[in-house]
Amino acid sequence: MDLAVAARLNNLYWSLGTVAFIVLGSYLVGRLAMSISAARGAGLLQRRRVFWGYALVSPWLLGFVIFVLGPALLSFYYSFTDYKLGRSMEWIGLDNYRSLLAGAGAYGRRFVQAMYNSAYYAIVGVPLQIATALLMAILVAQPLRGMAFFRLVFYVPVILAGGPAILLAWRYMLASNGGFINVTLKRFAELFPPFDWLYRSFIFVVESFNAFFIGVSRADPVGPLMYTMPALLGLGVCLALYFTASEATRRTFARTVVEIVGTIFLVLLVVRAITGGSFVPRLLGRLGTLFDLMTQRSSLRAATDLDYLTTGYAAQAPSALWLLAVLVGVAAIIGYVRGASRQRWLLGGVGALFGLLAIGATMDGVRYFAAYDTVAAATDAANHHFALFRQVVAQFPDANRVPLWLSSELWSKPSLVLITMWSSGAGMLIFLAALKGVPRSLYEAASVDGATGWQRFKNITMPMISPAMFYNVVIGLIAALQTFEAVYIIQNTQTEQSIASAAYFLFVRTFRQLEIAQGAAASWILAVLIVLLTVAQFRYSRWVHYE
Amino acid sequence: MNDTSALPRVRRQRSDRAGLRFWRRGWRATGVLLLYAVLIGAGIFFLFPVAWMAGTSLKTIEEVGQAQLSIFPETPQWTNYTKQLAEKNFYRAYGNSLYTVLIVLLGTVSSLVVVAFAFSRLRWPGRDLVFGLMLGTLMLPAQATLVPQYVLFFELGWLRTFNPITLPGFFAGGAALVFLLRQFMLTLPRELDESALIDGANPLQLLWLIILPLSRPAVATVTVFLFVGQWNNLVQPLLYLQKAELFTMPIYVAQKNNLQESPIPWQDIMTASVLFVIPVLVVFILTQRYFTEGIALTGSKG
Repeated sequence: MDLAVAARLNNLYWSLGTVAFIVLGSYLVGRLAMSISAARGAGLLQRRRVFWGYALVSPWLLGFVIFVLGPALLSFYYSFTDYKLGRSMEWIGLDNYRSLLAGAGAYGRRFVQAMYNSAYYAIVGVPLQIATALLMAILVAQPLRGMAFFRLVFYVPVILAGGPAILLAWRYMLASNGGFINVTLKRFAELFPPFDWLYRSFIFVVESFNAFFIGVSRADPVGPLMYTMPALLGLGVCLALYFTASEATRRTFARTVVEIVGTIFLVLLVVRAITGGSFVPRLLGRLGTLFDLMTQRSSLRAATDLDYLTTGYAAQAPSALWLLAVLVGVAAIIGYVRGASRQRWLLGGVGALFGLLAIGATMDGVRYFAAYDTVAAATDAANHHFALFRQVVAQFPDANRVPLWLSSELWSKPSLVLITMWSSGAGMLIFLAALKGVPRSLYEAASVDGATGWQRFKNITMPMISPAMFYNVVIGLIAALQTFEAVYIIQNTQTEQSIASAAYFLFVRTFRQLEIAQGAAASWILAVLIVLLTVAQFRYSRWVHYE
Repeated sequence: MNDTSALPRVRRQRSDRAGLRFWRRGWRATGVLLLYAVLIGAGIFFLFPVAWMAGTSLKTIEEVGQAQLSIFPETPQWTNYTKQLAEKNFYRAYGNSLYTVLIVLLGTVSSLVVVAFAFSRLRWPGRDLVFGLMLGTLMLPAQATLVPQYVLFFELGWLRTFNPITLPGFFAGGAALVFLLRQFMLTLPRELDESALIDGANPLQLLWLIILPLSRPAVATVTVFLFVGQWNNLVQPLLYLQKAELFTMPIYVAQKNNLQESPIPWQDIMTASVLFVIPVLVVFILTQRYFTEGIALTGSKG
């Protein structure tokens, strides 16, 4: 007998067994619930209700225990061990989490990069996807003929995008050399020269942005949670504070900011506790890195640390310590000059001490830069986190350049985003249902009041469809963090690292390399992140307008 | 009722008063034309990969190796299809896919109906708690349980069988689908249950005789969603089947991607892809009403 046929038959027996198991299990769960409620002194009618309710819900309950709760607990346990399939395991405590969060070792580094890639899909991909969906929905909602047909057409990608077939077609179309898209772009550019400028500018923008993003992820040696996220968050907070106007909003906003920042610091604290080392010195170290990045000399310091004795850079690079010394020194001197008499001696002492420190550090810095020879400068430039970015920005794409899509780390993530935009029809249908629910009388009233089209959209449509928007954002973010199929199909050896999502990392680590324990730890980090993000979205969903 | 019937009259009056009807119509017509142009452009963007797939599947290997500009083959190579259909691994994979999808549909839909019924039509202590628990699992990423599930199936000796793919569905797999069905069943009038229960029916009879026939549209929606999801399902088969004879279509197609041939035989890959996509497309076109309604139903209570 053919192996496949035998397997199908075998599966059929198991299916019948499963059905029997579920029926029997449901009955037993029902009886159990009933006897518990009887023990609590419930009446006959109530007991009957309990029996039927629990018996009929138990297919799910049993499945939940067997396939969700049990495995989840088990994977939590595995994450603290060094389990590999078919081998005995040992308890190793937080080591898995430590190496992943700290980005230690080749695979920790890859995990951090995968987290960055997932963040890219969430930050860049989801808004683009939602914008596409909304635009499509608005177009299709127009009361014109043939809209049912277009709705159908726009939805087709959704049912196909989950499977490998269409992803392969995309892979073929996106081939950078001889693929349909690039050949067509080139042909257009030949026929119509201004188009060439247009799409080279597009190349320039996309490449610069992605090179910058790659730079950010490389400049972060300890993982996304350590410095980039707080920095970006701080920037966002500053901008938001700057743009919020009235007193009342500012106050509620301040509370929100305190809450978010507090949560993030709490998370950072936990992460630091896991990865070892105390929190505050590392934070100062991060500030130092930030400062070094601003002066673009971060990797130089690392180089001189190694070469200190042999090449004789007899100086320390300006770092966080220099900044600290100068700041404290200046502050203390100002305090001495202007301050109250009681603290004068203290301020004076501190001022003198840090002033001397600042002078020493500054002189050292001057000597350091004097020793900064051309060789060091060249290695520095090549090793710099933002080397790729500088290279991309320095040169506008040549006349015959094409986007490199799947063969370059600068283009692999945009390619994936393009494919997700292509399959944003599900969001379109949700927006469409919401748009249909907006009462026409509101628009009528608004146009009587002389509102323009944009005003009507902003003040009526957007609030009315905000629940749909919220739903799409929540679902979209979860989906972005779990992107797998598309990555699996369109990655290749050159771009695997730059396109891998967290889910893909998990897959490779667990099922290719069979490092079950580390995979479990990674999956729990991802799960906690998703839950935190979802909870935060529900917590700050005041912009959603429910009737 | 009053204000909706009043609306058209108001609109007509205003346009009469405004005069310049000719210009207004001209603008409207231009706007409509522009809108259609955008819609058609977007339609091309959304359908192009499908058309490209179909076009490529009819090309020769020489055409496929050249720089690509035309979607149409010089002469359609129908032999690509006959060759593909004659391949043993192909129809075996097709059979495996059809078999697993059928079993999953049977098992999952029936358990989903029962569970959704318990959540929507029966009143029992602890219902809301259990329901909340179920909604909570929506937030849990699939990856959190993927690893230990693998270990579980490994210990059960289920690797290289269809069991890990078909059997979990029997336990009402898919909280979102339970939610969808429950939302629908909640809209049915309560009096139905009461009269049936007074007549002495037990809940299962109530479900089978009254609720299920009335919920047919929602059940159809859930079925087509499940069908599409299962037909496209790549991850589980990839993890558990591990043997060429057991491969389902998604892996069969994805495997073609890994061929180290040069030039890559894209026409073969696309032929298999077209054959793979056809059932989903047909089901979608026949049942598209259910997709639209189903998605609106899940989104409405976001």
